[in-house]
Amino acid sequence: MINALTVEAKNSPEFLERLLRVCRHRGFTIQSINAEVNNTQHTTQINLTVCSERDISLLTKQIDKVVGVIGLTLLQQPENIKASA
Amino acid sequence: MNGAHFVVQALKEQNVTQVFGYPGGAIMPLYDALYDGGVDHLLCRHEQGAAMAAIGYARSTGKVGVCIATSGPGATNLITGLADALLDSVPVIAITGQVPTHLIGTDAFQEVDVLGLSLACTKHSFMVQTAEELGSVIEQAFEIATTGRPGPVLIDIPKDIQVGPSVAHALAKLMNTEKTLNIAAIDQAKTMIRASQKPLIYVGGGVGMANAVSELRDLIAATEIPSVCTLKAIGCIKHDSPYFMGMVGMHGSKASNLAIQECDLLIAIGARFDDRVTGKLDEFAPNAKVIHLDIDAAEIDKLRQVTLSMTDDLKQVLPAITIKPNIEQWQQHIAEMKVQHVSRYDHPGEPIFAPALLRQLAQTMPADTVICSDVGQHQMWVAQHMFVDRPENHISSSGLGTMGFGVPAAVGAQVARPNDTVIAVSGDGSFMMNVQELGTIKRRKLPVKILLIDNQRLGMVRQWQKLFFNGRYSETILTDNPDFVTLASAFDIPGETIATKSQIDQALQRLLNSDGPYLLHVSISEEENVWPLVPPGAPNDRMMESVE
Repeated sequence: MINALTVEAKNSPEFLERLLRVCRHRGFTIQSINAEVNNTQHTTQINLTVCSERDISLLTKQIDKVVGVIGLTLLQQPENIKASA
Repeated sequence: MNGAHFVVQALKEQNVTQVFGYPGGAIMPLYDALYDGGVDHLLCRHEQGAAMAAIGYARSTGKVGVCIATSGPGATNLITGLADALLDSVPVIAITGQVPTHLIGTDAFQEVDVLGLSLACTKHSFMVQTAEELGSVIEQAFEIATTGRPGPVLIDIPKDIQVGPSVAHALAKLMNTEKTLNIAAIDQAKTMIRASQKPLIYVGGGVGMANAVSELRDLIAATEIPSVCTLKAIGCIKHDSPYFMGMVGMHGSKASNLAIQECDLLIAIGARFDDRVTGKLDEFAPNAKVIHLDIDAAEIDKLRQVTLSMTDDLKQVLPAITIKPNIEQWQQHIAEMKVQHVSRYDHPGEPIFAPALLRQLAQTMPADTVICSDVGQHQMWVAQHMFVDRPENHISSSGLGTMGFGVPAAVGAQVARPNDTVIAVSGDGSFMMNVQELGTIKRRKLPVKILLIDNQRLGMVRQWQKLFFNGRYSETILTDNPDFVTLASAFDIPGETIATKSQIDQALQRLLNSDGPYLLHVSISEEENVWPLVPPGAPNDRMMESVE
């Protein structure tokens, strides 16, 4: 299944690395990603789509635990998008 | 005051009195600051030893353990210890020196990207970028290490920030949001417990980390619900508690594993359904509804879908869900299973039977003795046959299974609790993995007792080779071990070797009564196995109990 997420975090040089590691380690492949820094609010907003057979909650709960995460939004529920072959 | 002195001052403000470490180029300013005193530093003989001593210190006290290393190889040597602390949720702060800021990224001497290395083995990690943020980083690190689900935090400090002027400014503490209990969930839990015919409490290491042992014991006493525990939760429940069946899982007691499979309500408290506990996951507790209580929301539904979950502080939740169910028949059944599957210590011949030796040690050792176990067959025998009545008194590498853990963990525990007896139980394979820490014992004249169970094998691997690899003993035969008593004597540690049952009584007395450290080297048969054993991929009620 493919899911789209938006993650907002405090800006730090290694945050993206932390996020990517969590995705890979928990069994989710990144299909697309876009990161944008907000220098006024010192935050980073990352939009990504991930693919996995695992339930998306296994990833979102782990991302929630990453220090610096301010918010996480699951944009589309698993049943809405099917992974292409 | 420079940055390094500021770090020492900040450690004091966090009530740190003891650190473990090993100096080197990029951390020299901090060692120079430590030279002025105020925080006691114990030189370990390898950074891995320092990390594991910090774990032993933390786990035996509930305080934060602190370890220090230099950049590059010093930092990489910490990694296994940090991973151990992460898997067992231990609050540890690791401080590493880093090459000066202007050299970072140039492949400088002893430069390694420790922040990058730390991502998979810490709860969080910091690279200090400026002197201004040093105070807030240290404060945040301690807060992160100790709140929620505890864990290790690494602080990497470039050398120029250590020697530069400090800017003593700490940011406000992280926001701790006070949670109120979910009354509806509490009510539902009580309804489920009241309706259950066969409830079972499954206790994990989170109970000790939450400092909720007293609340757990009150719950068990009030409800008389039968209970089992994980390796890390040993000591949370009094070992002679009437309906307590001991450890569950791969090498758990038969009564525990059968009870799990039979129960109709499983109350998991600070436990995470680890694969060593569940065996074949989809056949684990197949008839049970599950109530899962854990501070870490990511553990809920991770492996087992639950009926009800709460992520509140166990100290609040456990009293709130206390309700006594009517389960006399189930209690009677549990009591019968306990008797039916009790461990036996009769063993033919004169060779020493390790489970009986450990049982005798548990019965002989002083109250409040700390057992630091290494990893292997002896670790499981300790868990099965020894008993302690505080989780702080059973320190074992549970999640990572780190060979070499026992002796340095005992160093940390002995430093933390100088008036208590500390015993490292090791095996001949594990002992050699951090044998250099005998030098730390000698340096501080620590009275650590070492019980070394020697079968001249990597025993647990050998057991699996016998059972599952057709007896092909690939690289597990250690008949070329050194003379361990002579080795210990090189570090001024007296000791002796025993090999027969008739030698045990007096040898244990000499071990326990020695004023300083002591090595009791025990030769056992290489054929001894750990039973029962749930084979890989099998459900917990299909335990093997012998080779046949």
